[in-house]
Amino acid sequence: MNLRTARALVPLVLVAVVAALPLVVSDRFLLKVFTFAGINALVVIGLALLFGHAGQVSLGHAAFVGLGAYTCAVCTVRLEWPWLLAFAAAGAVAAFGGLVLALPSLRLKGHYLAMATLGFGELMTLTFREADPVTGGVDGLGGIPFPDLGPFAVDGAATLYWLVWGVAGLALLAVYNVTSQRPGRAMRALHGSEQGAQACGVDIVGVKVRTFVVSALLAGLAGALYASVVGFVSPSVFTLAASVTFLAMAVLGGTGSLAGPLAAAVLLTLLQYIDALIPGIPRETAQTIQTYQEDIYGLAIVLVVIFAPGGLARLWRRRPRGGETA
Amino acid sequence: MSLLKVRGVTKRFGGLTAVDDVSFDVFEGTIKALIGPNGAGKTTLFNTLTGFDGPDEGSVLFDGAELVGRSPRDTVRAGVARTFQNTQLFDELPAGENVMVGSQAHQRRGFSAAMLRLPSVMAEDRDAREEAGRLLRLIGIEEWVDTPAGDLPAGIRRLVEIARALATRPRLLLLDEPAAGLNATESRELVQTLYRVRESGITVVVVEHHMGLVMEVSDEIVVLDRGRKIAEGPPRMIQKDPAVIAAYLGEAEDEGG
Repeated sequence: MNLRTARALVPLVLVAVVAALPLVVSDRFLLKVFTFAGINALVVIGLALLFGHAGQVSLGHAAFVGLGAYTCAVCTVRLEWPWLLAFAAAGAVAAFGGLVLALPSLRLKGHYLAMATLGFGELMTLTFREADPVTGGVDGLGGIPFPDLGPFAVDGAATLYWLVWGVAGLALLAVYNVTSQRPGRAMRALHGSEQGAQACGVDIVGVKVRTFVVSALLAGLAGALYASVVGFVSPSVFTLAASVTFLAMAVLGGTGSLAGPLAAAVLLTLLQYIDALIPGIPRETAQTIQTYQEDIYGLAIVLVVIFAPGGLARLWRRRPRGGETA
Repeated sequence: MSLLKVRGVTKRFGGLTAVDDVSFDVFEGTIKALIGPNGAGKTTLFNTLTGFDGPDEGSVLFDGAELVGRSPRDTVRAGVARTFQNTQLFDELPAGENVMVGSQAHQRRGFSAAMLRLPSVMAEDRDAREEAGRLLRLIGIEEWVDTPAGDLPAGIRRLVEIARALATRPRLLLLDEPAAGLNATESRELVQTLYRVRESGITVVVVEHHMGLVMEVSDEIVVLDRGRKIAEGPPRMIQKDPAVIAAYLGEAEDEGG
């Protein structure tokens, strides 16, 4: 009974810690790092659903983040839409992009989706760079306003942090609801045996497409938040390297879990800014880590896939279980 | 009443005719067995009945409605459930949740409703859980409810798959070699399960190698050999049929035993 109470308390304590962070941390840069961690977490929650539960690989999620970021930028800067509308549009455009990509590629078997997402990612990077009149080309698009939620001005480091983690928290809750109920069971079922799932009347293509669209939607919202926090978007951000980073977070975090990928997203984001977090760290060490960052991720994916397919999540969970872990 | 009318079903793979102009009826409330030596086309025929494979010719009428051309999903939603020769369970999910997936054949609530945790979704989930428990009790394997399917013994896996098929609420249940890998005790339990399934008003078609079991449970038998139907009738008649004996003796010689 005590153990159960303790387990129920863990999420509450975590929420409290995440929420209270800006009250403790006053350094604006550090707070921004934690805000970026929240943005990455939002992307990785969607990827955890796609990869960890439905067993689909996306090598192009940065493109959906980019779609969201550019949509938000164009809507606020060029069209002067209210922020909330631009934010919703960013999610909608990314979700639509996900639908357009998923519908044809998910009808095929095997790794076609991974290949299609890779191609899609490259195509989008190219588009962001070349569609000058809309995207600003290589120079990017600046002057994106801070989020505006009507009566609440979101322009300080702390309020931005709260907004980002608030959205991530809601996304986590929604995705947890999906994974812990019927759709999540359908996902794990078709991951286990497509034939068996078909024999149960599971709409295989439907489940896969919906999963993909939801994860693209979350990536798009994350992109809009990124654009609004930074105030500037440029094509160099939404590249294959970024897609691999997101995938590394999801893989490291582990399959069948949401807490694992979430933790991995935060840890790997903080790793990029290790010099700001640990002031005493030697300059060279920090630089080495930052230089070889992508190599570290690539290596981490390979090592996890070979030696610990369960990822971080399996470290505190001994046997594979349903979706009861969040 | 004839629940399933199979008419002239033919399936070719390249030059090989795996199922050759096979016709038979399955009457409501009966257990019909499909037997035949290895390679006789039993599983291929099963796949053409359940939407996993389309026949090249022929028609399959279920309660008057054409099944040919339907997806596996539409077939199961029409009331025809199946199991597989190589059990297709979801190894990461516990036995109980495997059965719950079967309930999805007749559930409505989907993605967005689940996301918002609507009460209707919770209610459907609860119903599916209760039904899964009831079905596992019916089959007599309720003690395995929380065991991940990947950890179950082979015999129990077959029974869980039957429970999962029943959770789709079928009128017709197709079982592909349900006794394969079962020991004598488990086979006897399977026989009891099949009787209970028939009692609950579900018609059963079973593909089986295990002759004793087939002769015991089936009301009628269809014998296939090299894709063709060579005999059809009640077990007593089939046992004496010269064509059937020849087909099986042939197989025994081929296998050297």
